[in-house]
Amino acid sequence: MDDYQTEEEESAFVVEESVEATIGRNTYQHNRVNQWSTSVVEQCLGQLGKLGKPFKYIVNCIIMQKNGAGLQTASACFWDNSTDGSCAVRWENKSMYCIVNVFGLAI
Amino acid sequence: MEEYNSGDEVVFNADEASVLVKECIEGVIGGTDYNQSKVNQWTASVVEHSLAHLVKQGRPLKYIVNCTIMQKSGAGLHTANSCYWDTATDGSCTVRWENRTMYCVVSVFAVAL
Repeated sequence: MDDYQTEEEESAFVVEESVEATIGRNTYQHNRVNQWSTSVVEQCLGQLGKLGKPFKYIVNCIIMQKNGAGLQTASACFWDNSTDGSCAVRWENKSMYCIVNVFGLAI
Repeated sequence: MEEYNSGDEVVFNADEASVLVKECIEGVIGGTDYNQSKVNQWTASVVEHSLAHLVKQGRPLKYIVNCTIMQKSGAGLHTANSCYWDTATDGSCTVRWENRTMYCVVSVFAVAL
């Protein structure tokens, strides 16, 4: 049986865990953020693939330093509403914001 | 059945999408400065217009268009994408645009039906 109400919830949980594990304790560092965002997406994708669901996945990660700047992000999707879905996870610590979008498209 | 273009046009054309997206961005925020009260509707407009133009091409693809607008204030921003799909038929493109007061990054993902 499903532990979660929807696929979106399950994905959100997987993503939160992946982000915590990758950058949970770090402070924003310009020369490392490149490998962090790569690690976050790879870790998320790996964990999502392990769920074994019949989906294609797209994982998008944004990491931004906290310094008062404004950031806005939007997505539009042209797909099958009955089978495809997405979830967005917002995470932050003292020095940075991390936004991860997961899109799942049924095969 | 639906009418789609056939043959070699089934594969996503990243260059064509890039040009299309750039035009959409220019059309929406081309001559403007970063404005906190308007940025919400700008990102929505950019993704909606881009999506509409892509769909008009009539290809048998599902699309995801993602737009990020950030004020220029010295902060660092990094984005990354990772995709689990069929590399033979699916593809993506990313367009980076900027003016004096803001950055705009748009990613298009196309997945074959």
